[in-house]
Amino acid sequence: MGNKTIVTGVIGADVHAVGNRILDYAFSQAGFDVVNIGVLASQEEFIQAAIETGAKAILVSSLYGHGEMDCRGLREKCEESGIGEIILYAGGNLVVGKQEWEPVKEKFLEMGFNRVYPPGTLPEEAITHLKADLNIE
Amino acid sequence: MEVLNKKWSMEKLMSLRKEILATWPTGSDVEDIDAGIEYQKSLPKSKNFAAKLLHAKENGITLVQPRAGVALVNEHIGLLQFLQNEGQADLLPSTIDSYTRQNRYQEAEKGIQESISSGRSLLNGFPAVNHGLENCRRVVESVNVPVQVRHGTPDARLLAEITLAAGFTDYEGGGISYNIPYAKNVSLEKTIYYWQYVDRLIGYYHENGVVINREPFGPLTGTLVPPCISHTVAIVEAILAAEQGVHNLTLGYGQCGNLVQDVAAIQTLQELSEEYLLKNGYENRHVTTVFHQWMGGFPQDEAKAFGVISWGAATAALAKATKVIVKTPHEAMGIPTKEANAQGLRTTKQLVNMLKDQTLPLTNELAEEKEMIKKETRAILDTILKVGDGDWARGIIRAFEAGIIDVPFAPSRYNAGRILPARDNNGAIRMLDTGDLPFDKEIIDFHKKKIAERGEAEEREPSFQMVIDDIYAIGKGMLVGRPN
Repeated sequence: MGNKTIVTGVIGADVHAVGNRILDYAFSQAGFDVVNIGVLASQEEFIQAAIETGAKAILVSSLYGHGEMDCRGLREKCEESGIGEIILYAGGNLVVGKQEWEPVKEKFLEMGFNRVYPPGTLPEEAITHLKADLNIE
Repeated sequence: MEVLNKKWSMEKLMSLRKEILATWPTGSDVEDIDAGIEYQKSLPKSKNFAAKLLHAKENGITLVQPRAGVALVNEHIGLLQFLQNEGQADLLPSTIDSYTRQNRYQEAEKGIQESISSGRSLLNGFPAVNHGLENCRRVVESVNVPVQVRHGTPDARLLAEITLAAGFTDYEGGGISYNIPYAKNVSLEKTIYYWQYVDRLIGYYHENGVVINREPFGPLTGTLVPPCISHTVAIVEAILAAEQGVHNLTLGYGQCGNLVQDVAAIQTLQELSEEYLLKNGYENRHVTTVFHQWMGGFPQDEAKAFGVISWGAATAALAKATKVIVKTPHEAMGIPTKEANAQGLRTTKQLVNMLKDQTLPLTNELAEEKEMIKKETRAILDTILKVGDGDWARGIIRAFEAGIIDVPFAPSRYNAGRILPARDNNGAIRMLDTGDLPFDKEIIDFHKKKIAERGEAEEREPSFQMVIDDIYAIGKGMLVGRPN
């Protein structure tokens, strides 16, 4: 598939399906080819879907607070699988509890994510960023 | 494997028990089933959930209960004591972490270890299975009010064995309500079977003089769920539980935001469930109700969040729900601090106390709303029994396959996902598309008319965009997602 293929999903033991549907809809409307692997998705499933479809980006959602544990090592696994350069975004309620956003963001950037989004971010913001990061339009 | 709504023999339960208890080392602590019953009998009546609920129902009181759970035992006890003392909680929970909910005890163990080493909870709840019987008993013994297990576990058999033996007196969930919104790939045959085990276990406790309350999870996906959908699931689960010997049930409903619809929903949930339990031969059952404050997206601003919480509290009190599950000002950010949690409780307590002696008068609007919810729910329930050839378990499985019952925004592939809910011009939840729900022309036309009214008021064609606008609306400070 082409330059506009992306993988979306909700990582770990998380079953929050609503935002996932909205992202699917919003990115599709914005012209992306969305490969949505849904909820309860493992790191391996994200990577496999990206390899199979030649996706240019992986968008990881996490609403339930375990994102910190679930996302650790994803960049390294991408590298091992030969897609080390793929764009990685993460967004949602990424940690347990109300924490200051900047340190959380730093933590995820250090893990190798290209962009990190706090709770309440609208899809339009990530769409604009992804178009810029993929040099679309 | 065909699953039917038929009471299990004790032999069937006992022969499966061994296997279930062997799935994690802490299971061996509860091998003696009667030791759990003896322990329950040693607890004071003030710690029995069912007794407290019935007392509240008789006295027109709405009890308040938080959600709460952290990774480590002492911290969890500290949290519950804080919510009891500072939050004035009438009832307490132990909310179970998401790894345990998926039976991933190994990962829960890792979360416990990391929580110890980092000095903060990395789990979003209390991993009761990993902590085991004695630690769970410490939780129950550390507080003065009844404690309920709240989770979201498709296969909650081991969790039930451990927590019931440990003195928890209420167990949330069910084979439908903890599958369709909480799983992707688990069949209803399996989860209904898993939950028959749990209900039969509770039936056994009941036969031996220990009353455990059961609470099907009312709000389902918590996102624009029409009352007839959640009522149907609640009533079918009540019937399935009653068949296994459960006598005390709390049926739930998640706030939609329109006062008349919400009050109508709580009242009809009570009336319809009693009607269907009796009609199906389940006598001497006690039904209470739980109202969940807004389950969708919250405003980030804590002051605005208190507004949402207060509206839910007021509605619960006016509807005379037996208890209300409370949200917190941190909802938009995820798991709250204990202080924020207690604030949500106190806000709610203030409202339910103030409104204790008031009720919503039966206006034409309320009567019409109740009538419509009853018509819709009966249409679905009666079709379920028909396609099940008279059996509720077979019926609900076939009904999900056919979209006769359909939950909006559910992750499960066993859910049709064809209905599309949206608010009408007054903020009540209607259906933009009724999918394959077994509705007659009158009901379908009613929904069409209500949605069309809003479309005209907003000068746009109702579409999925309208649904998305509604999902974001409360977070942005409105109930109905109007275009800018």
